[in-house]
Amino acid sequence: MKTEHPLPRTDSQLLHALSVPQRQGDYPRDSRAFVRIDSSLRVYWHTLFDICPGLLQLSGPDGLAIFRPFMSWAAQQRLSLNWTYYLWLDVWLQQSSFARHVTPALRYQLMGASAARWATGDRSEANGIFLAAADLPDLVCGWKTQTLEGARDIEQIELAEPLPAPGAAFGYFTVHSRHLQDGFPGWTDVPR
Amino acid sequence: MRIGFNYTLGDTAPLVRKLLAGGHIDYVELLIDNFLAVPIDELETGFAAPVGFHIMFSKFIENDIPALESLARRLRALIERLRPLYVSDHVARFSHDGRQLYHLAEIDYVSDYPQVRERVDWWQQQLGCQLLLENYPSIMDGGHDAPAFHERLYRDTGAGVLFDASNAVCAHLNCGVPLEAWEGVIEHSSHFHTAGYNLSILQPHLILDTHDQVLSEATLGFLQRYRGLFDGPEATLTYERDGRFDEAEIIGDLQRLRGIFPSSPMEPRT
Repeated sequence: MKTEHPLPRTDSQLLHALSVPQRQGDYPRDSRAFVRIDSSLRVYWHTLFDICPGLLQLSGPDGLAIFRPFMSWAAQQRLSLNWTYYLWLDVWLQQSSFARHVTPALRYQLMGASAARWATGDRSEANGIFLAAADLPDLVCGWKTQTLEGARDIEQIELAEPLPAPGAAFGYFTVHSRHLQDGFPGWTDVPR
Repeated sequence: MRIGFNYTLGDTAPLVRKLLAGGHIDYVELLIDNFLAVPIDELETGFAAPVGFHIMFSKFIENDIPALESLARRLRALIERLRPLYVSDHVARFSHDGRQLYHLAEIDYVSDYPQVRERVDWWQQQLGCQLLLENYPSIMDGGHDAPAFHERLYRDTGAGVLFDASNAVCAHLNCGVPLEAWEGVIEHSSHFHTAGYNLSILQPHLILDTHDQVLSEATLGFLQRYRGLFDGPEATLTYERDGRFDEAEIIGDLQRLRGIFPSSPMEPRT
């Protein structure tokens, strides 16, 4: 059922709607609030489909068959939409009618996108992240920019001696240098 | 007025070097928290030009204290070594209810004031220098409260404003905040931003701070009209570009800014 909200005065009054497509319709189509929410949602859309265009082959060219139900599920699950955005999309895809069309290549692309998002957005002292999926053999790692003119670096790695699989759909650990002298610290579940 | 250009990602380094070599810019604004894993020596000598520091993702209003203390330690080392022209950060909401906002939201300048003031005080102490906070390109009517908020914050904490002239134009066009309302802020500011903006896809069009277009006539007119208030011996103006890196277009904009603020010695502020 549609709930008409009083016209908001501040941006803060729209916070609950800025990542939830279903809430956009609570505001009149010709209002600034409606367009404000639309502009916010488009950033989430582009963050998915510009980075992983292979998703459009599943969903159709506007992406909405994936975008709207996934964002709705993400809101219900109270997902943080942090660097794990793409990993949770993979979790959702596996439960959806798209599951049998999701290739390993697309799944590695989603893992790479999450590693890249960590590498550009994380502000901790860690310099790299390793990601593993429970049902894929290779690891994906991401490194923060190490030189002034460089960029974050993403690699897919096939280990000669595989690590144990994570207990959840995905696991990760972070490192301070590329020399993994401390060994395997174990997998941490990715945050919601 | 010194004119600068923002450096956010590695792939624009050749452009920045070209702008410096051509005398189009006098300094480089580093989005410093993108480069925290770069060796400090390389940051110090990288562009052989003065730098400004723009902090993007400290999220100092909402982040947890240990994470901020760690970040501040690393930033402070860079501040002490590189001696930037200014250190700036953002007053905005980066998340809501634990969920990240990809299009940052504007705070409520009235109800959020006590919390923001406390964090600004604390963050300045952690960084060990005056902090400048960028004004938001308001969309909703709450933007009318922004100029008074920044003036009050300056009085209470000493934190200044990295005054973004085109953000003020966005706020003016979106919700009618008069440009004159910022006179008190500009008067106490020495460091400025400007950039191009674009229209929202849907109507009624919003003006969005996209950093991917040429400077608008409204922005250039604002800078020209208040030229005497903007300029001063320590003043800097950073031209931000984060998309559509059309070199000729960028140089054209920088030349327009030089036309308003010639690099010859400026008369004192009035």
